[in-house]
Amino acid sequence: MTDTAELSSEERGAQEAELREVWRTPSGWRYWTSVNNSDIGLWYGSAAFLFMLFAGVLALLVRVQLAVPDNDFLSADTFNQAFTLHGTVMMFLFAVPIFEAVAIFLLPSMLGARELPFPRLSAFGFWSFALGGVFVCGSILFGAAPNTGWFMYPPLATDKEYSGIGADIWLLGLSFIEVASIAAAVELIVGIMKCRAPGMRINMMPLFAWYLLIVAGMILFAFPPLIAGDILFEMERMFGWPFFDAARGGDPLLWQHLFWIFGHPEVYIIFLPAIALMAMIAPTFAQRPIVGYSWIVLAAVGTGFLSFGLWVHHMFTTGLPQISLAFFSAASEAVAIPTGVQIFVFIATMLAGRVIFSVPMLFGAGGLAIFVIGGLTGVMVALVPVDWQAHDTYFIVAHLHYVLIGGMLFPVVAGIYYYYPLLNARKLSDRLGKIAFWLMFIGFNVAFFPMHLAGLRGMPRRVFTYPADIGWDWFNLISTIGAFIFAAGVTIVVVDVLRPKHRQPKEEQNPWNAGTLEWISEPEEKWGVRSIPIIRSRYPIWDQPGLVEDIKAGRYYLPDAKDGARETLVTSVLDAEPLQCLRVGGTSVLSILAAFSLGGVFIALTFHWWIVTAACAVITLVAIVAWLWTGTAVIPRDEMRDVGLGKTLPLYMSGPQSVGWWAMFITMAGDGTAYASLIFGYFFYWTIHNDFTGGHAGPGLLWPLAAAGLFTLAWLAMLLARRVNGGDRPALTRLLLLLSLLLTLAAGGAGLAGPYFAGMDPTVHVYPAIVWVVTLWTVVHGGVGIVMQLYCLTRSLAGRMDRHHDMDLRNVVLYWHFLVITAITSFGVLGLFPELR
Amino acid sequence: MRLIPKEIESLWTLFTAPTIWALHFLACYITAAIHCAKADAAASLGTTRLVLGIITVAALTGIALSAYLAWRQWGFGSGDPPHDEPTRRDRLLFQGFATLLLSGLSFVAVLFVAVPLVFIGACQP
Amino acid sequence: MFSDWDIGAIFDRDTIDGASLPAHKSEPYRLRISIGARAISRRALPILLAPLSGCSGVQSALAPAGEEAAAIFQLLLVMVVGGALVWFAVVGLLLHAARRRKAPWTEEQASRLILFGGVAFPVAVLLALLVYAVWLMPVIRPWFTRQTPEPEMIEVTGEQFWWRIRYPAADGMPAFQTANELRLPVGERVAFSLKAADVIHSFWIPALGGKMDMIPGRTNTLSLLATKTGVFRAPCAEFCGTSHALMAFSVIVMERADYVAWRRAQAMGDGTGGREGERLFAFHGCAGCHGIRGTASAASLGPDLTFFGQRQTVGAGALANTAENVARFIRNPDAVKPGAKMPAFDMLADGEITAIADYLVGLK
Repeated sequence: MTDTAELSSEERGAQEAELREVWRTPSGWRYWTSVNNSDIGLWYGSAAFLFMLFAGVLALLVRVQLAVPDNDFLSADTFNQAFTLHGTVMMFLFAVPIFEAVAIFLLPSMLGARELPFPRLSAFGFWSFALGGVFVCGSILFGAAPNTGWFMYPPLATDKEYSGIGADIWLLGLSFIEVASIAAAVELIVGIMKCRAPGMRINMMPLFAWYLLIVAGMILFAFPPLIAGDILFEMERMFGWPFFDAARGGDPLLWQHLFWIFGHPEVYIIFLPAIALMAMIAPTFAQRPIVGYSWIVLAAVGTGFLSFGLWVHHMFTTGLPQISLAFFSAASEAVAIPTGVQIFVFIATMLAGRVIFSVPMLFGAGGLAIFVIGGLTGVMVALVPVDWQAHDTYFIVAHLHYVLIGGMLFPVVAGIYYYYPLLNARKLSDRLGKIAFWLMFIGFNVAFFPMHLAGLRGMPRRVFTYPADIGWDWFNLISTIGAFIFAAGVTIVVVDVLRPKHRQPKEEQNPWNAGTLEWISEPEEKWGVRSIPIIRSRYPIWDQPGLVEDIKAGRYYLPDAKDGARETLVTSVLDAEPLQCLRVGGTSVLSILAAFSLGGVFIALTFHWWIVTAACAVITLVAIVAWLWTGTAVIPRDEMRDVGLGKTLPLYMSGPQSVGWWAMFITMAGDGTAYASLIFGYFFYWTIHNDFTGGHAGPGLLWPLAAAGLFTLAWLAMLLARRVNGGDRPALTRLLLLLSLLLTLAAGGAGLAGPYFAGMDPTVHVYPAIVWVVTLWTVVHGGVGIVMQLYCLTRSLAGRMDRHHDMDLRNVVLYWHFLVITAITSFGVLGLFPELR
Repeated sequence: MRLIPKEIESLWTLFTAPTIWALHFLACYITAAIHCAKADAAASLGTTRLVLGIITVAALTGIALSAYLAWRQWGFGSGDPPHDEPTRRDRLLFQGFATLLLSGLSFVAVLFVAVPLVFIGACQP
Repeated sequence: MFSDWDIGAIFDRDTIDGASLPAHKSEPYRLRISIGARAISRRALPILLAPLSGCSGVQSALAPAGEEAAAIFQLLLVMVVGGALVWFAVVGLLLHAARRRKAPWTEEQASRLILFGGVAFPVAVLLALLVYAVWLMPVIRPWFTRQTPEPEMIEVTGEQFWWRIRYPAADGMPAFQTANELRLPVGERVAFSLKAADVIHSFWIPALGGKMDMIPGRTNTLSLLATKTGVFRAPCAEFCGTSHALMAFSVIVMERADYVAWRRAQAMGDGTGGREGERLFAFHGCAGCHGIRGTASAASLGPDLTFFGQRQTVGAGALANTAENVARFIRNPDAVKPGAKMPAFDMLADGEITAIADYLVGLK
C-alpha cells in the first residue's frame, strides 16, 4: 500500500493511457513485428502445436504401415523418413518450444514483472524456430526428409549415398532451434533471477520459476555439446573431415557421446517444465499451498544435476567396459529419487487439502498414472543387463512414450485447460475436456502398453515391417487402433481450443481462484501488470487482501510510462530488493530480419550456395549490430527514475549488476560448453588410438604458443582499455582498443599459421581435422572479438559510451575473459599435448 | 566456526553438494575409461579402484561437511518448513533446508555411483 | 483377411528338422476389414489365448534358451511384479487423495509421506536393484580369456543387409565362411568377435542373451551359452539403412556331435559338380561375388552360398527358402530388399534363373 496521496480517477486514467500507448501491439502487417511476451508466447505455442500435429500425423502413418505384417502402405524409405521426422519434430519442434512458449507467456506476470528483460531476443528466438521448423518439416514433401533416425548415427548418416540431403536439412534445420533455445535460456535465467517483483524473495518464488531456472541452466550445458557435434558432423559431410570415419582415425562413438550428453538432459528439459505446471495447478485445486516447497526445489536441482550423469545408458550395448556402464546405471537409478519425490509432493498436497474436480486435475492425475509406469520401466532399463535385452526394441518405444506423454503431454494439456482463461477470459469446455481425456488416456494405453510385450518378444525399433506369425501381429494391430483413439482425443482438444467462443460468456478474473500472481493479468491489456506489486507471500492473491485492487489502481511501482518507454524493475537475486528501472526493447523489425537472414545462412549452407551464405551472413551481422546499437546501453536523458512509493532508481547500470552483463556471461557459459565438447573430442581420439596423431605432423610448439601469447596481450590491452575508460581518457581508450584489435589479428594469424605451415590436411586423418577445428573455433571467436572491439570504438567515437556509461566495454571485456581462457587452452593443448603424452 | 559465515548471501551454495557429486562422477568415469582404453579388455582395474575409493570417501566427507553447514544455516532444525514468511530469516532458513536436502540426495547418489567399484574389478566389456 | 494366427505353430518352433522360421510373405497384405461372427470369434480366441501362449517365440527374450537370457528374464519378472505393486499403491493413493472428503492430513503427516514414500522407500529398493544388477553383469558376461577351456571365437560381420560369419579352424578342420546362419553347440560357451563393414549394426539373439553393437572401426566381443537346442531368429538391432527391418540371421543350437558333423561338412563343402545350375552360376557372374565351397566359386564379396539349401531363409530373413523365392530374389533383389547391394538379374531368361534357383536350393 502507498502512503502518497491518492490519485484522482482522471490521473489514473492518464497513467493507463500512457501505459496502453507504450505497450500497444501494432496492427496490420506490423502486428508481426511485436515483441510483447504475450504475443510471442501465443505464436510460439501455436507454432509448436502445429508442429506436434504434423508429427502426430506422421506417427499415424507409421502405425498404419505397422498394423499388419508385410504391409506396403508406405515404402521402406518413406517409412524411414516418417519415423525420423516424427521423432525429430516432436523433440525439437514441439517438446522444447512449447515450454519456451509457456514460460515466455506466463513468467513475467507470474513474477510480477511487465516483461522479460530481452523481448527482442525472444522474438528472434521465435522467428528462428518457426523458420527452422518449416524448413525441416517441409522437406518430407520433397522426399528429402532426414531418414536415419532422430539421433542420426554415423556412419549411416554421414554416408552421402544413403542419407542424401535429408541429413544436412536435419543438421542445419536444428541449428535454428539450438539458437532459439540458447536465447530462451538467457532470457529465462536473467528474468527469473533479476526481474521479480520486489519482496518476492528466493523462498517465495513460484515453483514454476524454480523449475524453469534449473531447466534454463540445463539447456545451457546440454545444447552446446550437440552444437559441437553438429559442427563436426556437417564438416564431415560438407568437406570430408573424418571425425566419425574409422578408416581415417575417426570414431562413430564420439557422435554418440556428444549426442547423448545433449539427449539425456534434453528429456528432463522436456519433463521438468511440464511437471512445473502441475506444481502450479495442484495447489489451486487442493485449495491450499503446496506441501513440500523445498522438496520440489530439491527435486528440480537434483534432477538437473543427476540427469547429466546418465547419457551412456543410451550406449549400454556399444561394447564399452562394464565398469563405465555401471557408473551410468547407478546415476540412472539415483535420478529416480528426485523424480519420485515430486510425485509424492503432489499427492501429499492433495491429501492435506480438499481436492475439487476440474479438467486440469483430471489430465494431471491421468498423466501421473501414465508417467509412473514409464518411470518404473525406466528403473528396469536403467539396469544394464535388462537394457542388453530391451535396448533398441519396442520396449524402449513404450517406455519413452509413457514418460513423455504421461510426464509432458498430459500436464501440458492440463496447463492449456488451466491457463486458457488468461488468453481469452473464458474457460474451455468441461464436457469436451472430459471426453478428450478419456479418449486420450484409453487410446494411449491401448496403443503403447502392448509395445512392452512386443519389444521383449523380439520386435526391434525402426522396422518398416515385420514377418507374419512371429507373434507380433496382434500387438501391432491393437497399437494402431489405440493410436487412432488417442488421436481422436487430441483432435477434440484442438477443436475445443479453436472453436469460436464469442457467444460464450466471459469469466470473471481468476476463475479457478488460484493464489499466484499470473492470475492478475488481464487478457485485453498488453502491459503485463498495471503496477509492479510488493509481494509478501507465496500465494499473494490468497494472502494479501486487496492486492489485486491495489495493483489495478496503480498504487505500487511504475504505475505510468512518463518517458514513453517500456519499463520493468530489476531486483536483487536473493531478496528481490529494487535495484534498477530497466527499459526493455519494444516493437522492432530487426529481430525478424536477423532471424530470417541467419536462417538464410543455414538454408544456403544446406544447398552449398556459398555466395548466398556470405551475403546472408553480412545482413545478419548488420541487423544484429543495428539491434545492439539502437536498443542496448542507451544513455538515458535523466540518470534516475522515480518509480513510485518514494523510490528513485537508476536507469543505466553496467558491470556485473547489469542484465546485459548477465546475458553475456550466460551466453559465454553455453559457448564455453560447446568449446569444451570440442576439446573433449580431441582427448577422446587420444584415448582410442595408440598414436592418435596417426603419424601426421602437428602444429608444432612455436606458432601455438605465439598465438596464446598474442591473445593474452590483446586481453591485457582490453583490461587496460576498460580501466582507462573509467579514468575518463577517451583518446587513450580508443588507442588501446585499436592496439588490442591489431594484436588479435596477429594472434589469429599465428593460430592459423601453426597447422597451415605444418601442412596439416584435415581430409586425410582425424588428427589434422580436430586440430583445425579447434584452431578455427578459436580464431573465429577472435574475429568476433574484433567486431566487438570495433563496436566499442565506434560507440566511444559516437559519444554513446563514456566514463559513466561503459556497459558496452564491460560486456566486451567479459567476453574477452572467456576468449583468453579459450585461446590459452586451445593453443596450450594443441602445442603442448603431443609433446607431453 | 566463523570461517564460513552462517548467513549465506549467495545462491551458489545451494549447488555445493550436487557439484561434489558431479566431480566425483567425472573422476570415476574418466579415470576408469582412460585406464581401460589404454589397457586391454582382460586388464584388471587394480589400483584404480583403490584410488577411486579414496576419492569416494573424500566426496562423501565434502558432502557431509556441506550438510553440516546447511543444517547450521537451517538453525539446526529449530524451525519447521514451510519457510514462507516474507523475512530474511525465513529466506535463510529455506536456503539451509534446501541445501540440506540436496546434501542428502548427493550423499546417496555418490554411494550409488561407488557401487560398481565394489563388484567390477576388470575392464571387460 | 488379417494374417492367420496359428496357435499350434508357435509351439513347433523348437524342432530342428523341418522347422521353419517366420519369414516375410511373398506378397504384401492389404488391410481389409472383415465382419462376421465366425471371423470375430476366430479373432477373439487368439486375443484371449495370446497372454497364455504369449511368451514363446523364436525371437523372444521371454522364452530364454541361454544362460544370459534366463538370468535377465528372472530379474525382469521380479521387477515387473514389484513394479505393478508400486504402481497400484501410488495410483491408489492418488485416487484416494483426489476423492477424499474427510478432514485433510496435517502438513507434518504429509511431509512424512514425502520422506518415506519419495525418499526412504525408493532409496532402499533402488540400491538393492542396483547392487544385484551390477553384481550380475560380470557374472553373465565374464571375460572369456579367463575361462578354461577358452571358448572358440566366431567372427560375425554386419553388412548392409546380411551377416558374414567366419568359423575359425578347430580340431583339424579348416576355417570357413558362411552367411546368415549360425550353428552353435548346446551347453558350451561360444565367443563372438563382432565387426561392421559399413555402418553400425547390432548382434542380438534374444532367446540366448542381450545384444552387442557392431561398430565400424571397432571389434566388439560377446560370449553366449545356449542351454536348449532349437531354432532361433536374430534380427539386426541397430537401424542400418533402408532394409534394416529385413535383416536377420538364424541360429540353430545343436548337440555337440551334430554340431561337429555340420562343421566338418561345411568346411569341406559340396564337391558334387556338373549340374546345369552350377554352370549357369559361374557363367552369369554369380561366382564373382558368391563363394560355394567344393566348386570353383571362391569369391567372398557377397554372402557365401555353400549348402544354401539348408538355410532357413533367403536374403537374411527376407523370404522363406523356396526355389520360387530364390528366383524372385535373383530377378530383382531391390524389390525384395530395398537398398540391397546385389544387382538385378532380370535380364536373364526365366528358365536360367529357375535353374540357378533349383541348383541353390538343392545344395544340401
